[in-house]
Amino acid sequence: MDVFLQQLINGLVLGGIYALIAVGYTMVYGIIQLINFAHGEVFMLGAYFAFTLVAFFHLPFWVAVPISMLLCAGFGLLMDFVAYRPIRNAPRLSALITAIGVSIALQNIARIIWGAKPQPFPEETLPSFLQQVNPLEEPNIYFSFLGINFTEVAIKFPGNVSLAYLDLSIILLAVILMVGLNRIVSLTKIGKAMRACAQNRTASNLMGIKTNQVIAITFAIGSALGAIAGVMVGVREYIEPTMGYYKGVAAFAAAVLGGIGNITGAMVGGLLMGIAEVFGAGYIDPIIEFIATNVGLGEYYEAGTISNSYGSGYRVAISYIVMIIVILIRPTGLFGKSTGHRA
Amino acid sequence: MSKNIIPNSIFEYYKSKSSFILNQLTLTRFILFLIILFLPTILFSLDAIIKFFSDRNIYIDLPSGDYILYICVQVCVYILLAIGLNIVCGFTGLLDLGYVAFYLVGGYTAGLLMTNHGFNYFLVLPLAILNGGLWGLIRGAPTLRLTGDYFAIVTFGFAELLFRAVKNEIWLIQDINGFVKDIPSVNIPYTKIVLYQNWHHYYHILILIGIVIFITYRLKNSRVGRAWIAIREDEQAAACMGINVSRYKSLAFAISAAIGGLGGAFLAPFWGIISAKAFEFWESILILCMVILGGKGSIRGAIIGAVFLGSLSEILREILLRVPQFSSARILIFGVILVLLMRFRPDGLIYKKSV
Repeated sequence: MDVFLQQLINGLVLGGIYALIAVGYTMVYGIIQLINFAHGEVFMLGAYFAFTLVAFFHLPFWVAVPISMLLCAGFGLLMDFVAYRPIRNAPRLSALITAIGVSIALQNIARIIWGAKPQPFPEETLPSFLQQVNPLEEPNIYFSFLGINFTEVAIKFPGNVSLAYLDLSIILLAVILMVGLNRIVSLTKIGKAMRACAQNRTASNLMGIKTNQVIAITFAIGSALGAIAGVMVGVREYIEPTMGYYKGVAAFAAAVLGGIGNITGAMVGGLLMGIAEVFGAGYIDPIIEFIATNVGLGEYYEAGTISNSYGSGYRVAISYIVMIIVILIRPTGLFGKSTGHRA
Repeated sequence: MSKNIIPNSIFEYYKSKSSFILNQLTLTRFILFLIILFLPTILFSLDAIIKFFSDRNIYIDLPSGDYILYICVQVCVYILLAIGLNIVCGFTGLLDLGYVAFYLVGGYTAGLLMTNHGFNYFLVLPLAILNGGLWGLIRGAPTLRLTGDYFAIVTFGFAELLFRAVKNEIWLIQDINGFVKDIPSVNIPYTKIVLYQNWHHYYHILILIGIVIFITYRLKNSRVGRAWIAIREDEQAAACMGINVSRYKSLAFAISAAIGGLGGAFLAPFWGIISAKAFEFWESILILCMVILGGKGSIRGAIIGAVFLGSLSEILREILLRVPQFSSARILIFGVILVLLMRFRPDGLIYKKSV
């Protein structure tokens, strides 16, 4: 049960990050029906921008993150202006191919500039109470309340379940950002324009909405959210040029799971995807062992030649599997409305 | 006087065809044909000329003829794959982002059977083709009703899953990272001929390409090919006209995948070693880039695109070996090419879309 709760917490944190990225995919898809493959790369660039500002320009973290968000928003605008706007009325597949091209180009530019090696944020980036939990150390307990211990870096619940302040702040920030986004989309004028564009772009253009401007703002908002998600991943794990590719696909799978084009769906899908990934990675071994012994490959499992969750194995693959299953069985996702035309 | 449009016999049909071919045979084409046929000879004589000069202390900085030939064989593999991908992408108009999966299936079928079970290449080749086609059907069956970007995403996920499987499943591959080492060279049964030199490989793949081009041309100009193009133009209209859409789509998936399997089966003894790294996602994109550059739906376009981008890729690989920190610029360039093509020439640089 303790392991279960701990995994649930980890899943929720990862899910919050996925939700932030997935919102970027789904907003763009909702308006221009484009799977913006390059969104994962914007997320990666956000992490790298913040990293560069902190490590080379020695800016404080709290200044670097908003600047990185602004840079990424500008980058999203640029991407839309240079690559996507000229082919707005071309067939949808041309746009998808362009997006893949942009994604590959950006990933390799990052590899040239920052190198292929995974890099963590510098140690002094964050204040000491926002560090990762070190399971070997016995932390000082500041005060206890109903059996819940508040230590230096984490809240310890009874039964060896801990929630790091870092993770807590990631979840809180993700929730705040998403509630804010929800308010923007449902209450403001630009949000209304976005919803109008998603319903019918031509008609909203005729009604005097500057659709190109709305699309650009969508790109900017999505990219800024992606950038902050990138920083979160960078702080929790590390930064590498391929992170946009792997985490991007997982977040896209989350968007599909929630019903692509639906913002609430993307949030829920992101949370589910994070939980699914963590639980999949945590509980896949007994399943693999069960299958292996029943298919007659038990000896191979004993010898460790069948990949398990430790062997870098299928953690990433879980998102592909979820994505394929959702597309094949229910292309509209959990919250999507079924439209007249087919998938 | 009624003109008989249906030829009386197969013979007459081919007579009219052959005169058509003769009419098309210009001098340039004939020279091109000769160059392709005698490329190893030309390169080896080039080698001899360079050696002649270097003996007299005049040095010409050119890579050796054998190495150029090796690159030519690589490019030929890409030609094969581009023709195969063109069937799904060009004829049926579905975007396949995971074509490398079938290349992988063919490569590992051939590599594992030849190395671990001692099968002869000529037995492995049909098996790899069949296995590729089978995987094409496995992927094709559930995706029949998908179109557009959803199909593309599923193909992408499928290829990634296969890639992860060969990279991680050590019990299947017997080595880490999908390495299959010491794949024996092709030896022709009942003789002592072993095909191990680059010019052997060159003529070998030339024959394979010839067969594949012949088959795809005949398919394109047949009932099947017209059905595919009808599906590409409008699936619902095609179904209304009585075309069995699922059947023809499955056929396209199977044939395209079988050609991918063929390419992989050739690759295994040609390289002598295969690893999962050769089947990464961006390899699919490279092949897609070739098909798009030549113009989707045109076999000649696919060939020219493969020759152009395949040699560009190999030349860049050679140049960038000297500046290792820029080695990923090779992939970057293909991304930029895709973006520029979509922006300025979405129907390809070389040929316009037929029909």
